Amino acid sequence: MKKVVIVGGGTGATLLANTLDRRRFAVTVLSNSAVHVFQPALLYVAFKHAAADVARDERRLLARHVRFVEEPVTHIDLPGHVVTTGGGRRYDYDYVVVATGVRTDPSQIPGLSDVNEEFGDYHTGVAQAQKVWARLDAFRGGTIALGQSSPIIKCPPSPVEGILLAEELMRGRGLRDRTRFVFFTPYPRPYPAEPMNQIVEPILRARGIEIMTFFDVDRIDPRARTIFSIEGEEIRYDLAIVIPPFVGADIAYEPASVRDANRLIITDRQSLRITGFDDAFAIGDATNLPTSKAGVGAHLEARVVARILSGERAAFDGRTHCPVDLGGGLGTFVIGSYTAPVVKYPPGRLSHLMKAMMARIYWLSLRGTLEPVFDWYFARTDPHRLSRTEPANRRAA
Amino acid sequence: MGANETMRTIVDSRGSSCPGPITDLAIAYRRAKVGDEIELWATDPGVKPDVRAWAAKTGNEIVSVEDQPDKIVVVRVVKR
Ligand SMILES: Cc1cc2nc3c(=O)[nH]c(=O)nc-3n(C[C@H](O)[C@H](O)[C@H](O)COP(=O)(O)OP(=O)(O)OC[C@H]3O[C@@H](n4cnc5c(N)ncnc54)[C@H](O)[C@@H]3O)c2cc1C
Repeated sequence: MKKVVIVGGGTGATLLANTLDRRRFAVTVLSNSAVHVFQPALLYVAFKHAAADVARDERRLLARHVRFVEEPVTHIDLPGHVVTTGGGRRYDYDYVVVATGVRTDPSQIPGLSDVNEEFGDYHTGVAQAQKVWARLDAFRGGTIALGQSSPIIKCPPSPVEGILLAEELMRGRGLRDRTRFVFFTPYPRPYPAEPMNQIVEPILRARGIEIMTFFDVDRIDPRARTIFSIEGEEIRYDLAIVIPPFVGADIAYEPASVRDANRLIITDRQSLRITGFDDAFAIGDATNLPTSKAGVGAHLEARVVARILSGERAAFDGRTHCPVDLGGGLGTFVIGSYTAPVVKYPPGRLSHLMKAMMARIYWLSLRGTLEPVFDWYFARTDPHRLSRTEPANRRAA
Repeated sequence: MGANETMRTIVDSRGSSCPGPITDLAIAYRRAKVGDEIELWATDPGVKPDVRAWAAKTGNEIVSVEDQPDKIVVVRVVKR
């Protein structure tokens, strides 16, 4: 039996723990929280007052043979093969897999903690997302500013989704005439990948949402209700939903050089090994891979690591596949990989339906039993295949 | 290293298309000081117009743009 320690108890960790062969691996999951949040639902908690089935108990999501310990990990000694928790307990391993995700860090931007405290945010947790809803619910007119305050983001479509749903909400309440919407982004356009922007930007414009590009938040003055950018521009707001910067987990590593300045783990793009170590892997948002931080990545990377540990040859291809809610019952997907630029995937009702369906099958998918269905679906929507069948998708060089 | 010394940072964005190299450039730019150089490596074809638009907006200078088997774009940060 090989000892596998998995650090984290979210999407990637849970799927990996459940798919490793119990006859060959003794699996321990160490997480700082037994509450597993289905994070995409935070969008609907914040903008649609959703409440159902947002979080479940991690112990019930893990297969019975997996040992679960609710304790924060504080130290990982890679050469020494030891993981240490806040309570001082030590776990040795044959293989370690880090799946600690990213967390929001408003402290990086002066004034942001106060703004998040006042208006909430939808990337930190359920309580913060509920606060967004409470503020929107009480809103009677003025300027709503929404955007990301740093280039690193969990779920790149989520800022655009947020403002579209906020606009839809105010329209439904008869407050649209009294509300100005300002969408700000550090990128050159509302959605960073151009093919997807060709779908998203016309929708934002059609809904009368003002767009400020290259707006890299420098500081916020909560009293003057003004957001300032590094480039010297300003936005005056009455209600501000500002997505905070993201950083990796608060864990000290030996050696420290396996993490970058944002505390993301420097990970081999194909083998998912932590740089310089054969028996240590990182998956999901915790890595510095040049892919979107999304559940789909964590899912596919967990499977690659499961296969490598089982002695198979496997490599991650950088696949992303993120559903985008465009409001009004329409949806699309951001699809790409290391070798295929993002595909322009036309919006439709089916895509929206699939996003809603994912919410239902998420909990089931963590068991790992749906993998044949996912394999079929991902092969059908392979970005190389999609861009072959739809020449308009190919991006001009 | 002295406080006044400028630095050259290499940002390897090859293989990134979503969110894309412009994200990595913006992150590096936040950390850079006046006079620093950022060398951005990218394979995404959209990187050239993006970097030009970015430089125009932020008042930075593009030192050179080179096509190599994997594209290389060099940007010098002159304003902050
Ligand atoms: C508003 C919103 C909308 C989203 N929409 C989508 C979507 O439509 N599609 C999509 O694919 N993805 C979406 N995502 C992103 C998706 O939820 C994440 O990318 C995914 O959960 C990442 O999985 P992970 O396993 O890497 O990290 P996580 O699921 O975040 O898990 C990290 C785990 O590590 C634990 N941890 C952290 N620090 C420590 C420590 N020191 N010690 C022990 N444990 C620790 C945490 O408690 C947690 O259990 C969305 C996210 C948000 C916020």
